[in-house]
Amino acid sequence: MPDSLEHPAIRALRELFDAQLPATTTPQALKSLQDAYVGRKSGKVTDLMKQLGTLPPGDRPAFGAQVNKLKANIEAALDQRRADLAAARPPEGGVDVTLPARDLPMGRVHPLMRVRQQVEDIFARMGYEILEGPEVEDDHHNFEALNMPPDHPARDMQDTLYLGVPIPGGTWGAHTGRLPKAQVRAATLLRTHTSAMQVRYMKTFPPPVRIIVPGRVYRRDNLDLSHTPMFQQVEGLVVGSDITLADLKGTFEAMLRELFGDVRVRLRPSFFPYTEPSAEVDISCQSCRGAGCGTCKHTGWLEILGSGMVHPAVFEAVGYDPEKVTGFAFGLGMERVAMLKYGVDDIRLFYENDLRFLEQFPL
Amino acid sequence: VRIPVSWLREFVDVPRSPEQLAETMSLRGFAVEGIERAGKEAVIDFEITANRPDCMSIVGMAREIAAAYGLTVKPGPKLAALATANKADISIAIEDADLCPRYVGAVADVTVGPSPPWMQARLNAAGVRPINNVVDVTNYVLLEMGHPMHAFDLATLARAHIRVRTAKPGETLRTLDGQTRQLSSDMLVIADAARPVAVAGVMGGADSEVTDRTTAVVLESAYFNSLSIRRTSRQLGLKTEASMRFERGADPSLPLAAAQRAIALLHMIGAGRGRGRAIDRYPNKTKAPVVRLRRDKIGGLLGSAVPDKEVRRILQSLGFTLRPTPWGWRVAIPTRRVDVMREVDLIEEVARHYGFDRLPVTFPALTAAPKPVDPRITNARRLRATLTAAGFSEAMTFGFMAVAAAAPFAHVGEVIPIANPLSENFAVLRPSVLPGLLDAVAHNRRREQVDVRLFEIGSRFSRTAGERRAVGCAWTGAGNPAHWSGGSRSVDFFDMKAVVARVCETFGAAFHTAAHQEDWLQRGRAAAVLAPDGSRLGLVGQLTPEIADAHGLPAAEPLYVAELDLDTLEQAAPVRLRIEPLPRYPSVTRDISIIVDDTLAAAEVRETIRRAAPPPLVRIAEFDRYQGKGIPDTKVSLALRLVFRSSDRTLTDAEVHDAMGQILEALKNQHGAIQR
Repeated sequence: MPDSLEHPAIRALRELFDAQLPATTTPQALKSLQDAYVGRKSGKVTDLMKQLGTLPPGDRPAFGAQVNKLKANIEAALDQRRADLAAARPPEGGVDVTLPARDLPMGRVHPLMRVRQQVEDIFARMGYEILEGPEVEDDHHNFEALNMPPDHPARDMQDTLYLGVPIPGGTWGAHTGRLPKAQVRAATLLRTHTSAMQVRYMKTFPPPVRIIVPGRVYRRDNLDLSHTPMFQQVEGLVVGSDITLADLKGTFEAMLRELFGDVRVRLRPSFFPYTEPSAEVDISCQSCRGAGCGTCKHTGWLEILGSGMVHPAVFEAVGYDPEKVTGFAFGLGMERVAMLKYGVDDIRLFYENDLRFLEQFPL
Repeated sequence: VRIPVSWLREFVDVPRSPEQLAETMSLRGFAVEGIERAGKEAVIDFEITANRPDCMSIVGMAREIAAAYGLTVKPGPKLAALATANKADISIAIEDADLCPRYVGAVADVTVGPSPPWMQARLNAAGVRPINNVVDVTNYVLLEMGHPMHAFDLATLARAHIRVRTAKPGETLRTLDGQTRQLSSDMLVIADAARPVAVAGVMGGADSEVTDRTTAVVLESAYFNSLSIRRTSRQLGLKTEASMRFERGADPSLPLAAAQRAIALLHMIGAGRGRGRAIDRYPNKTKAPVVRLRRDKIGGLLGSAVPDKEVRRILQSLGFTLRPTPWGWRVAIPTRRVDVMREVDLIEEVARHYGFDRLPVTFPALTAAPKPVDPRITNARRLRATLTAAGFSEAMTFGFMAVAAAAPFAHVGEVIPIANPLSENFAVLRPSVLPGLLDAVAHNRRREQVDVRLFEIGSRFSRTAGERRAVGCAWTGAGNPAHWSGGSRSVDFFDMKAVVARVCETFGAAFHTAAHQEDWLQRGRAAAVLAPDGSRLGLVGQLTPEIADAHGLPAAEPLYVAELDLDTLEQAAPVRLRIEPLPRYPSVTRDISIIVDDTLAAAEVRETIRRAAPPPLVRIAEFDRYQGKGIPDTKVSLALRLVFRSSDRTLTDAEVHDAMGQILEALKNQHGAIQR
């Protein structure tokens, strides 16, 4: 029987059911709906059937068939709804997966160490040996052998902290199984750079040399936004029969691009007593892409490391022949790198060890 | 050095804007601190490196700018010749020619008053305060030529005599700044017939100062030994425009020209007139050194040959004199270039003005196999991985600290003072990494961070042991983190002992703990961490409330710390790693429960069991320890799980039964243990 011939009372009931069914979300509500429509004793569909006697005899078969069909449809819909609701229930032993997890505490590597390890890895791949050296040093290894005799004006560039009493000096070399006696001197100062290790290394091994020395260094600086009396350096040294300033350029371009991404690199002449020529190395400012901004003091460039060709006096001090070998040396401050890389504008944050700072770095 | 551009133009035709000039010169080795504008004047502040005292002047920078742009330096104002004489209304004697190789003195009659506005403006722009026309002229010469000068009031000099000598013991001098200076016998002074009138090259004396009443002055234009000036300036704690130039190295060729320029200026501004003669004491003339410059060394160092024409142009424009040879040049060095002594110094000059940017980019070839990384670095990396996985974040603290912070952690006399500390907070080297770590915990604790786990890897120092590396850990707050399912508790000894175990395992080093007493650790909750040979690896325990309080930490909250010596741990690590074959036969597990004195250490019970048991005992594990209802006072119930396993057969019940019998017998005999 076409819908158009559907009895108005039946249609009204069907539409009412269709509207009410989706609102039932619990088994209890579904049972009430079932009772309301197709309950054995009462129920709207049962009531309709009871109207059969009031109709003209000719209409009765069709009406009866329509009511039966409605009843069957409603029962099928209720069954389907019941199955759907059951499927939506969590299974026995199921959990609310949206509850918070149990904390699996995981600490962070210090950002300065994070940067240092990255630098170490870059140089390791370039074939550099990585060494550590003592933090307390003697005047010879920290200054004199690096072309800074006593009273040299350049010593002012590195204001030094001296020990009140000498203590047993650097023991570097123990792990190599050979420690030349000349290296054992009483320590009298806190090293101002890790270059002291370069001297120890050259006095122990013949060229070629390709090393980096990461570590803590100390200067008599007051604590402020951009200075700390202790900071972290990575210094490097390459010595060979034909090492050139062009090699220095190539090394830094490769290293700095890996560290900072797509930056331009430039060298500016400068002065360090232990290198000649000496150069400051700049990278193009990433904040302004070289256009000039507050970060780069409107120059478009950021100073990132000091470097140069090893001074012949340094070679002479360690027993290398400056006529036969050349080399380059450099020093890179981890604080500077980390500040630029991560947008840190106060160096003291690195030494407060605030977990809210440390935990911003990924694992 | 502050360079007013208008002044610079008197010596070189500055071709571009100050900004472009700054950019170019920074690529020639003169970083620019800033550019200031005042009216029409622009002042560029160049940073002069310590090796270039010759550039601390207008003329010096003009020379560099000329070289950078291929220009020539203008000759500057013509100077009237100054005849030299042996005596010229004064007498001069150099008594220490090592400390004062040259001394020029000339007398001028003056009318003291203010200098003209243009001169004052230039001095101000360059950062020097105008005083009066005579002093301003000496300062003008200093700024323009880079040569320091001084003017004495002739009337104040006893017998019109100048002696350049070292100070006598006990001599004092009131300097221009009004302070009375104690002089020592290694300081060079300018004296008259009776007493010192100036600290040579540093500052003049107040008594011989030029005043309104002065009518005649002695202009001093000398050259002093740089080391001597540096020492004196440091000893007196007195840095002046003059001392800064002398200590880096002045030009011995300049004194007479500087005096001529000063007299010309006095005349020009109407301040006075020279008497036409000067005394020039210069016993041993400084010779211009000659250095060879080999063509192939230029390319060998820079990585690219530089055309001869360029080499000549650059060096000549900087004032070097070149004599060609088949292999390169012999180069005479002007006396002002104290930084150029060797061939490399000349190569630097060439590279600087040739342009670092024009050099090629190459990569150094490896000619030998790279050596392995220092094992201490690899070990520290693994340790970092271990500790971060245990929930500890890495801290970095300073290597020095206040005396009071270090004191509890080292014996008196072991702490190393710093001779010249910046502040009391940095007075001694740290004897332990823990005090710094405690400060870091306190910092976090004050900022609502309740659960804090931090570690640090670093050096610590003592007088007898020197520098040794250590790892320190600190833990406060929850032992296991709070969760909605419950079960949170505070950190305790055994949490921290687990961290110690992890650290030792990182090195593959075996360890055990023994009760230990240390002033900074809570009694009964402190242990020494020992290697199998009994050597001490470190300490672990709960910090005393007193020390916690001293670091600003809440005394009531438990804070556990551990510090282990990394140098010792590395020694304790096995040299070679050998793998044991996996077990092929099943194991047998037996539990025992005994009652013993509660003072008996678990380690002793284990030791008794191990000694009594036959070899197949492979594992002992305590799984319960109980005191309370049902157990007599001062006793404790201990439950242990023993695992037996043979490597060559399946153990029988009878064998295990016998072993258990022996173990229980031993426990009974040695500790009076009662089986439950």
